[in-house]
Amino acid sequence: MTWLVWRQYRGQAAIASVLLAAAAAVILADGFQIASRWHSILVACAGNTACLQQQAPLVNGVVSDLPYISLLVPAVVGMLWGAPLVAHELEARTSDFAWSQSITRMRWLTVKVGWLLLAAAACGGAIAALTTWWSGPINAMSASAFAPGQFDTQGIVPIGYAVFAMALGITAGTVARRTLPAIAVVLGGFIGLRLVISDFLRQHYMAAVTTYYSVGGSFTAPGQSWVLAQGAVGPAGVVVATGWGDLYPALPASCQTLLPTAGTGKSGSLSAVFSCMRAHGWRGFATYQPSSRYWPFQGIETGIYVLLAAALIGVTFVIVRGRDA
Amino acid sequence: MSAMSWVVWRQYRAQAAIAGALLAAFAVLMLVTGVQVASQWHAALIACSANHTCGNLADSLFLGSHAIGFLVIMTLGVPAVLGMLLGAPLLAYEFESGTSQYAWTQSVTRRRWLVAKSGWLLLAAAAVGGVVSGLVTWWSGPDNALQGDAFKPGRFDIMGIVPVGYAVFAVALGITAGALLRRTLPAIGITLAGFIVVRMVIYGWLRAHFAAPVTTYFSLAQGFTAAGSSWQLAAGYAGANGQPISLPQSVNGPVIGGSAAVPGLPVSSLPAQCQAAAGNGPLTPATYHAVLSCAQAHGIRGYLTYQPASRYWAFQGIETGIFVLLAAALLAVTFTVISRRDG
Amino acid sequence: MSTAIETHELSKRYRRVSALTECTVTVPEGRVSALVGPNGAGKTTLLRILAGLASPTGGTAAVLGGAPRQDPAFLAEIGFLAQEIPLYRRFTAEDHIRIGAHMNPRWDASLVRTRLAELRIPLGQRVGTLSGGQRAQVALALTLAKRPRVLLLDEPVAALDPLARRKFLATLTAGVADAGGELTVVLSSHLVTDLERVCDHIILLAGSRVQLSGDIDTLLAEHKVLVGPRKDTAPIERTHKVVQEVATARQSTLLVRLGGPVIDPAYQAEDVTLEELVLAYMGADEASAGKRLTTVGESS
Repeated sequence: MTWLVWRQYRGQAAIASVLLAAAAAVILADGFQIASRWHSILVACAGNTACLQQQAPLVNGVVSDLPYISLLVPAVVGMLWGAPLVAHELEARTSDFAWSQSITRMRWLTVKVGWLLLAAAACGGAIAALTTWWSGPINAMSASAFAPGQFDTQGIVPIGYAVFAMALGITAGTVARRTLPAIAVVLGGFIGLRLVISDFLRQHYMAAVTTYYSVGGSFTAPGQSWVLAQGAVGPAGVVVATGWGDLYPALPASCQTLLPTAGTGKSGSLSAVFSCMRAHGWRGFATYQPSSRYWPFQGIETGIYVLLAAALIGVTFVIVRGRDA
Repeated sequence: MSAMSWVVWRQYRAQAAIAGALLAAFAVLMLVTGVQVASQWHAALIACSANHTCGNLADSLFLGSHAIGFLVIMTLGVPAVLGMLLGAPLLAYEFESGTSQYAWTQSVTRRRWLVAKSGWLLLAAAAVGGVVSGLVTWWSGPDNALQGDAFKPGRFDIMGIVPVGYAVFAVALGITAGALLRRTLPAIGITLAGFIVVRMVIYGWLRAHFAAPVTTYFSLAQGFTAAGSSWQLAAGYAGANGQPISLPQSVNGPVIGGSAAVPGLPVSSLPAQCQAAAGNGPLTPATYHAVLSCAQAHGIRGYLTYQPASRYWAFQGIETGIFVLLAAALLAVTFTVISRRDG
Repeated sequence: MSTAIETHELSKRYRRVSALTECTVTVPEGRVSALVGPNGAGKTTLLRILAGLASPTGGTAAVLGGAPRQDPAFLAEIGFLAQEIPLYRRFTAEDHIRIGAHMNPRWDASLVRTRLAELRIPLGQRVGTLSGGQRAQVALALTLAKRPRVLLLDEPVAALDPLARRKFLATLTAGVADAGGELTVVLSSHLVTDLERVCDHIILLAGSRVQLSGDIDTLLAEHKVLVGPRKDTAPIERTHKVVQEVATARQSTLLVRLGGPVIDPAYQAEDVTLEELVLAYMGADEASAGKRLTTVGESS
């Protein structure tokens, strides 16, 4: 049975390997270039953070968009391999052939699904490894590994996404019994779920930490942390995000008049404003997920996607067992 | 033509209904959040002009929500989806299921049949691309005014008329892939890969050269910002001879000048005389002024290479034209293949 | 009597495989021709070329006086039914009727509806959910509704049970009768006994070549089975053509094509059945040119 799976997919495996190798080559070449530039920056700046902030961005140009295109890889995998797994056999009626051989449907499905999920995980893992390595200097320079966008392309979550997308494709194909609608479902469902989880759920995996600091001072969450909100909070606990546009109306009048106004010749100093704010009980705050939680979050999110994948595969097995061919 | 049009409608009416529903949902979402964004923008404008902090509004104001903003960026993928789900199966599915043998032995020639099917599908793709682009362009009005980045890659690609060109190209690519490969799944894969490659080549290399970029030199004391939503390609410093001063890969130590658009000029890159004027340690207002005057005396100026904002629509037109021409070429290939090949 | 179908040295090669080699046949108008042959003989290829779905790599083919071409007038004259009954599975019979009305200038929708009503096949059910026999009947009715002058059917009864086959062939015969001699049919099949009832012309392909072709009655009259003691066949072969010889130790059975009267009294002459004739020619080796025949007896 394993031999049959290999025979069926060897052409596609070859093509996928070639594409993966090509992508790896491009990412490696670009990554080496970025790494060497980062190395020279480190040497020149010798730990001076002000110097670090002065540097031009590490990434520019089209080639550097490639690792972000890797966000698509799970969806492609689910669409082109997951969706047709059962659907194509049903459409072409080869299921009549496959499911009347001397192995049970369940065994057939287990072997095929097992290998495809493994392939998805391997694919996701390869892309994740490449992108994580490529992002090393970027993470170091802008401390952004935990931020949405960066978080999704590094670590182990891409493996979870790939496995989930494959499972979604397989289930959609089994339910819809036709490949094209299954492909559409994978596209929409995968993107929708990723958006919902990364934008709404992820920040709540653990209760965020809120730190208060003196207004006018600065606070940088240490390491690769994920800042969810930062700004000033008034004495009544009224939270205001950054931006003078939002802050100005909330300030007491005595502090408002102290703001320098450009173009009118009226001078002032921000430090005077800050002292006034402090006097009125204003504090700065930052709500964030500390960097120590990076790997737990990676684990939680991967776990969520793997559990969803398992549930979907369970549904698939139930349907294939019960349904007419 | 109307007879074949009915057949096309009958074949695609379910998909048209689904697409229409999705488009309507997207439109509602865009309209509702767009109105919110616009009012947020107006309120911020009023507030900032009251206390004259409008200058740094771009850094401090974030319009809309992250989720909707992400959805807007995702419209980059709409042409690819149209190409994969509409274009690739058009011919490939008929070949795979054998129904081409049925369709091509009715009293309609293959060409006429294909003209009707591909014509309506291309029209539909253009319409979807146009509607999505229209909504996104309107929604992004405040953000474009705020950030001035409508011309930048990534923003340029989702607004204006180029999405129509992309959609038409993607569907034509899908149809051609289906004609040549005759199987749906490989056609879908090729369409996606081909679309990404062509788009990357054009926005990554070709677009900057649609017209010769403008280079403006400016004095170190004044700085320079290109007016409106321009597209900055390069910025730096040039000596008296006009040669650009090469900046080191990493910068440590004091710099003069510098803005959001142009990086600062390291003192270490200046002639020795000016470096001496800087003395040791960080620059004070007095030494800064001395270094600046010295640099200017040596004829050092800054430069900015960019595509001016006035060229935005010309570039939109050129890029749309390129993609439409590519689509036409692909369709020519398809029609030739269809007529010659066995059914 | 005019010619509906005429091919001359027609060949079709796919890369290294020859699907048809120098095939020359003539089918007069009004005939119902049986296209028989083993699997892989080239039957489907021949039909597809005649329908304009494939193009020859050598020789010529003419249907109703002209080569198969992309011309609405020509396409309206032919009807083609592929082996896999490629209808749009998610469409109902009624959908197909309406599509046909839009894609054909001559369209007899009532014919389809009447036929399917007689056969009690529902018009509003998705074609993909009908049985194989019902689907074949729908496809045949749709093809007849075009009112074509040449009907090309590729193994249409292959997947049908005997009763469904009977009904299908009855529908076909009725359609031919309705057309009053203006409909020419080429119908490929394995089952010679079915064809005998329905067809009056035969084209036999084996090994990508035409082994036998002509009016069935004429061919049957021109062939005899000679049974006699086992001996040298050279004298017989001077006058007649021996198509097949089956010999035991003492007796030989010869299927011959008569070149004149049978004189040798040692042989007993029997009439040949169509099935015997077909089997004999199908077994004919590709290489032995002596047993390959071209057109025969087309005058009516």
